Amino acid sequence: MKAVIMPGFSELIIVVNPTQEVTREGMLSIVMPWLYAPWPHAREKGIIETEIDGDTLRALLAELSTRYKVANVDFQPINPTTNDLDFDYDVLVNGKNYVALAHGLDTKLKDGDEVKLKMLWRWDG
Amino acid sequence: MLDQSELIRYNRQLIIPDFGEEGQNKLKNAHAIIIGIGGLGCSSATYLTAVGVGHITIVDFDTVELPDLNRQILYWQEDIGEKKVIVAQKKLSKLNPLVQITPVFTKVTEENVLSIIKGAQVVLDGTDNVATRLIVNSACVKLKTPYIYGGVSRLRGMLTTIIPGKTPCLACFHPEGAGGLGVLGVTPAIIANLQALEAIKLLIGHSPALAGKLLLFNGDDMKFQVYDIKRNESCPVCSPTLPR
Repeated sequence: MKAVIMPGFSELIIVVNPTQEVTREGMLSIVMPWLYAPWPHAREKGIIETEIDGDTLRALLAELSTRYKVANVDFQPINPTTNDLDFDYDVLVNGKNYVALAHGLDTKLKDGDEVKLKMLWRWDG
Repeated sequence: MLDQSELIRYNRQLIIPDFGEEGQNKLKNAHAIIIGIGGLGCSSATYLTAVGVGHITIVDFDTVELPDLNRQILYWQEDIGEKKVIVAQKKLSKLNPLVQITPVFTKVTEENVLSIIKGAQVVLDGTDNVATRLIVNSACVKLKTPYIYGGVSRLRGMLTTIIPGKTPCLACFHPEGAGGLGVLGVTPAIIANLQALEAIKLLIGHSPALAGKLLLFNGDDMKFQVYDIKRNESCPVCSPTLPR
């Protein structure tokens, strides 16, 4: 599947097989620079276009993890021990949390789906 | 000036190049505030006291409970039920009687935060929730007081040093994430000691290494990563375009 990725301040917004033009309208122009690490050439435009093997949410997250690993960025949304979403992240598909989806991370993504992957902060003390 | 007992007590750090008596005197004349004296605050307070920060204010509204004892190292079994700030003051003063420890038994609110923080050279985060952190963050931006954020869960931790007007503040990120996920005792100790190191560097006039950077600690695989972070031009708290 084709994935159009827009890094935000603490999140990635990913549109799958977009059915219309994807723009950064409404998003901040400044983002965490390291979110572009695997695609430094895309920094100026702010939009990353890439191909992902597979058609599920899990495949998308696993592929992103691999790309960041190559760029030496610690970004692993799927915890290898639990095989579920790591607690450093939260993920929504079209605004719906993945835990509310019938197939969770194994949900098949449809053309035009918007995935929001949020990086969470730590608040305990 | 340092007296003979101070020269002996602080000998191991006085011989560090670029620290010396000048650095020690700066620490002696400094005032640091630790908001929250739990897992993070117990460790940062211990090391700031040991290093000789002249005045440390510790703020907390809680009493010692049994589940605190896995990580809040200033409290022991015999302290259960006592006010944390009072127990901490007694023990820190025994560690280093040259340091003035001011206990403040109160909950930090939007109403009292400015009066608590005013006059400090640095504020260290020792809280356990996002709401209080954002209150402290806003006050530090307003007073232009450096604020060292630290947060933990389980075996993970985060840290950044906020220099108002120069680096991103906590509100820049619209930060999200749940608390109450559990904490292994050593995790806040690791993050809090890094907070203390950043505070010491700030107080002696050295550049804090984590200003404008976010440190992520993952104790599951023992990884430290540091990333550059940028200010949010639309931040509701620190944006340079906000009316003052």
